[in-house]
Amino acid sequence: MSLPPDYSNEITALNREILKHQPSDTLQFCANFFSRRLESQRAEFLLSQQHSSSQGRGLAESTFPGSNPFSTSPSGGFATSHMQRLEEEEENDVVASPTAASFSPDAMDHAQSTPGEDTFGNFENFADSAKSFPRQPPGLGAMDAQSFPSNYNMNRRTSVSAESLNPASSINDNWTPPYHQKTNDQQARLKAGVAGNFLFSHLDDEQSTQVLGALQEKPIPTKGIKVIAQGDVGDYFYVVESGAFDIYVNPSGKLEAGPDGLGNKVGTVGPGGSFGELALMYNAPRAATVVSTQQSTLWALDRVTFRRILMESAFDRRRMYEGFLEEVSLLSSLTPYERSKIADALETKKYPPGTTIIREGDAGESFYILEAGEAEVYKRGVDKPVNRYKKGDYFGELALLNDAPRAASVTSTSDVIVATLGKDGFQRLLGPVEGIMRRNDPSKASALDADAVDPLAR
Amino acid sequence: MAAVVHKLLHHDHHANREPPSQSSQTEPSNQSGQSNQPPPSPHERQDSAMDRARDEEKHAVAQWDEQRQPLEPGQIEQDRKWVGHSSRVLRQEDFELIKTLGTGTFARVWLVRLANAREGDQHKVFALKILRKVDVIRLKQVEHVRNERNVLGSVAGHPFITTMVASFQDHDSLYMLLDYCPGGEVFSYLRRARRFNEATSQFYAAEIVLILEFLHEKMGVAYRDLKPENILIDAEGHLKLVDFGFAKKVENRETYTLCGTPEYLAPEVIRNTGHGTAVDWWAFGILVYEFLVGQPPFWDQNPMKIYEQIVEGRVRFPSAMSSDARNLISGLCTVDTSKRLGNIKGGASAVKSHAWFQHIDWDALYHRRINGPIVPHLRGPADTRNFDEYEPESDQREPYSNDMAEKWDEFFRDF
Ligand SMILES: Nc1ncnc2c1ncn2[C@@H]1O[C@H](COP(=O)(O)OP(=O)(O)OP(=O)(O)O)[C@@H](O)[C@H]1O
Repeated sequence: MSLPPDYSNEITALNREILKHQPSDTLQFCANFFSRRLESQRAEFLLSQQHSSSQGRGLAESTFPGSNPFSTSPSGGFATSHMQRLEEEEENDVVASPTAASFSPDAMDHAQSTPGEDTFGNFENFADSAKSFPRQPPGLGAMDAQSFPSNYNMNRRTSVSAESLNPASSINDNWTPPYHQKTNDQQARLKAGVAGNFLFSHLDDEQSTQVLGALQEKPIPTKGIKVIAQGDVGDYFYVVESGAFDIYVNPSGKLEAGPDGLGNKVGTVGPGGSFGELALMYNAPRAATVVSTQQSTLWALDRVTFRRILMESAFDRRRMYEGFLEEVSLLSSLTPYERSKIADALETKKYPPGTTIIREGDAGESFYILEAGEAEVYKRGVDKPVNRYKKGDYFGELALLNDAPRAASVTSTSDVIVATLGKDGFQRLLGPVEGIMRRNDPSKASALDADAVDPLAR
Repeated sequence: MAAVVHKLLHHDHHANREPPSQSSQTEPSNQSGQSNQPPPSPHERQDSAMDRARDEEKHAVAQWDEQRQPLEPGQIEQDRKWVGHSSRVLRQEDFELIKTLGTGTFARVWLVRLANAREGDQHKVFALKILRKVDVIRLKQVEHVRNERNVLGSVAGHPFITTMVASFQDHDSLYMLLDYCPGGEVFSYLRRARRFNEATSQFYAAEIVLILEFLHEKMGVAYRDLKPENILIDAEGHLKLVDFGFAKKVENRETYTLCGTPEYLAPEVIRNTGHGTAVDWWAFGILVYEFLVGQPPFWDQNPMKIYEQIVEGRVRFPSAMSSDARNLISGLCTVDTSKRLGNIKGGASAVKSHAWFQHIDWDALYHRRINGPIVPHLRGPADTRNFDEYEPESDQREPYSNDMAEKWDEFFRDF
């Protein structure tokens, strides 16, 4: 005759716990153990009941992001999100719920409970409390259906990924983005066409020029051409140059055969509009079908080109910054890891010629590296510039150390780009500069002497 | 007992293996200088020495299960530890497939039992993750799968990361033998409970902090896919992080490939400006928010709208959320990485000393001396009640042709 498996299991678990905790009061320990187990088993039971009542949701299937409705162009208008409207109304609401107005404040009541009270049962040890009584199972009281944001997708979420990219310069590959000639008018229209898209609004001038240059003209000879089909994999983003397109969504999630296979028409796109921008992120199934309604012209951009342009310029800039930082004697003891953190934090700023970037006598707050252009250094009482800066030179680094007034003024003589970081930012990332200078070589502390390190004082 | 455990975890590297010329194959890191000869498909060899080796290996695997004990961070980094090794002798036939535990885009994870094992080892169960080489290649995930195997091998032994006991391969598939986490996904508990109360959230969040601290600061690894779906609960109620498909050793170089889960992507990933371990702290903030609120802070039907919200980075909190929790989440979900908690000075220790975690005894937590809020109630070690049902695998599979093998097996040789 053998013992029931349930029992053996519990005893094995108890044995483990005893070995681990080596309790002095064995009986009390066992009693606590079993009451915890009981509590957690009951809680779980209640949870599973709850679960079975909401079975329909199908925890095991994952439909996101494939089945997401599709939206984009300004002229499209088919994706006026219901939720957005709710969110706007809610803007001044004290409840300030995350994304849905239906989120009632009392649904959150459990968030404020103190540790040890009403949790998943056996939480006592965690809260450092000796209490161990069965309590109401976790958060069940808070689960009224109305309080739940109805629009949130409750399914398991699928991971996404784009093709892996390695910067060309890291593998000695010479890559230049494709360039397709455009008239000034076309260029301007394109620029306006993508202006509203957040993926483009963060680009710097150079990236922007490269991206616009890479857009390729795609003539659509006649009406009735499906440019993208719902459910298909997507690699291209499109901007409409001329003509018009209808947008259809089939509720099945996919373009089907037959006369109604397109599904419902949800909008149109005309000149200046755009569609398919999710393809610039990763390869996701298209959320709609787009069909030409007349002869048209599109501009197309593929994901790999787009992401590569962004990556190459980010990569080059980082390496350039790291290289500059290596030259800064005040920071010579930074580890490569720290240097890359600082490079990441450097902010790019541009100034027209004749701008005074720092002014003698002002309190110093930031440090600068000249990334492009030229600047001159002036001291009061001296007519001529006392120094000139070019690409890779740095100034104002003493501001990282102390608040001493600037020893000179620096004025741009051409368009300049600087990379800059404030003392606050530096300390936030790595702590005080003094500590960093001292850690390798205590005698470095003498380098705090301004004359030794500040090129302004040279 | 400690001695036994030690012997087991640091099992002589060459025992149970092929002759020494082959055994260096088990260390992926010193691969590069090796000859270009692919291994003579050891998994297809048949002889009695091989059978003995397999038997030994199965026993070692069972013993590991018997003793399982977390390693100290210092021990995990040892390169000659036995857990996480690449086995040249194990085969699929050494395991009886019991039930599917989960499916991913190209992998299926099975509950398995040791087959034809010694007396006393027969009831040992594991999770076996099986990946078809064809699918891995078709979905362009070769690099990710290699990263996954190598990272999982090097982190094996951490108390809150699923332990890859061994990996192996045959002609058309790759296998990772993992410890079975019978509690199922935190995701399922969270969806059923809608949201976790503060104490429950703190406990789980704290275990995650220890994982991230270890991955980032000891291993230089960015995990890149933190979400409740990838966090399992083990038999004792502790967390186990699974799915290292996007994990990558980044150290001090930034990386650019977009990957993750839409709601959890960090702004720098979306903008493609280069990213590093800081993305995990962002995702951690989203995770804590989702624990406490029941849904992530950035959400829309249309994924592009989610991304727009993320790069803007304005998190809105329900009024009932405690100010400590808000403060923590705001610190983590900061668009500017030079201001993001976890990435700034102090790294993970700055997160650990945040007020929201003031009740956590971090050392006791690491050593699993604190009881978790949910301890799965199980009928036995092979209980799968906490897992959903999955469709059976389809029979029609694209074969892994010899042409493909010739082209790709080189990439899988460390497996
Ligand atoms: N060690 C384990 N014990 C129990 N279940 C597991 C284990 N490992 C994985 N699973 C289950 O299998 C599921 C899929 O595993 P995993 O996420 O590793 O596969 P994947 O193919 O990489 O997934 P995805 O495509 O979602 O990234 C998990 O979500 C989990 O439910």
